[in-house]
Amino acid sequence: MSSALVVRIVAPVLAAAALACGGAAWAKSASLEDMLAGQLIAADVPAMLGPITSAGRKGWECKPERAASAQGSQAAELPPDPESP
Amino acid sequence: MRVAYLAVLLFGLLSATALSQAYPMRTPVPRTTSVPALRGLAVDREIEERFRIGLDDESRGNWKGAAAEFERILALSPAEPKGSTARYDLAIAYANLGRNDDAAAQLRAAIALDPGFLAAMANLISVELARGDLAAARAVADRYVALDPESARALYSRGIVALHAGDATTARADFGKLLHANPSYAIAHYNLALAEERLQRYDAAERELRSALALVPTYARAQFALGVVLLREGRRRDARDAFSKASRDAVADPALQNIATAMRDSIAI
Repeated sequence: MSSALVVRIVAPVLAAAALACGGAAWAKSASLEDMLAGQLIAADVPAMLGPITSAGRKGWECKPERAASAQGSQAAELPPDPESP
Repeated sequence: MRVAYLAVLLFGLLSATALSQAYPMRTPVPRTTSVPALRGLAVDREIEERFRIGLDDESRGNWKGAAAEFERILALSPAEPKGSTARYDLAIAYANLGRNDDAAAQLRAAIALDPGFLAAMANLISVELARGDLAAARAVADRYVALDPESARALYSRGIVALHAGDATTARADFGKLLHANPSYAIAHYNLALAEERLQRYDAAERELRSALALVPTYARAQFALGVVLLREGRRRDARDAFSKASRDAVADPALQNIATAMRDSIAI
């Protein structure tokens, strides 16, 4: 087989095979990305704070207002961590 | 003898004081004959009574009844702080009735009456997110954080809004600050990891997810996110292991379990 024949026939076949493999790999990677899209979702929004009496929000007795300014996650009534068995 | 007389006298005086002690009535007796003043007292009493009934309804989940009570209170034009408080309580009833537009309007009105009302801001963010109005939620969250920069709820809420809106830089800053005061809060580590992942800081995201998993080893969503981060880092074998563990731990979340299983099976080693 002459080298010219190799260049004319074998090289395009090899190039086509390489493209096909690359395309398949790209498609696989794209399908993984498609599967992942939208799966990393943020944790829950906190539940609403509870009602307040007619005395209003000022003063130590107003639990919702205290929760709104608390620095600790529990006192702030943020979503609790998932439980471990 | 004198001491005995003195003791008897003292006992008598104390008994008389106790018998004559006056206890305040729940609703003071009106001390006026002025018609407008009497009407004002009657309105005050009605407001107090309706607050009591409305709060009782809310504690029993009777949201329709509660809404009716607080609507009536607002029709009586109560002075502050009752006006902003009635609007806040009415918003809770509306939100539970699925009337999120009305709830948002009441909370905005409560904040207009009392610009430092943090609980109303906290609830308004939740309501705006339920309405899908990220811009409005972000505006309230910015104001909340400005008024109370150390509040855990303010930082968490703005961080969540920022994550939903694609502002990973703000989310990263807020969850990072929240973790300074709450280093054992696994959910904050998870949310911070999401922000790091979106900023393509995969090493930092992995560190936060491992912190969350050290605190709660069966945190399936964190385990799944770890798989994603490892995949992005090109560590396919480790990613596959993480998806496999997420699939085992996500027993209570079938949707997450399915996607974790599919991810595990789609990774060729």
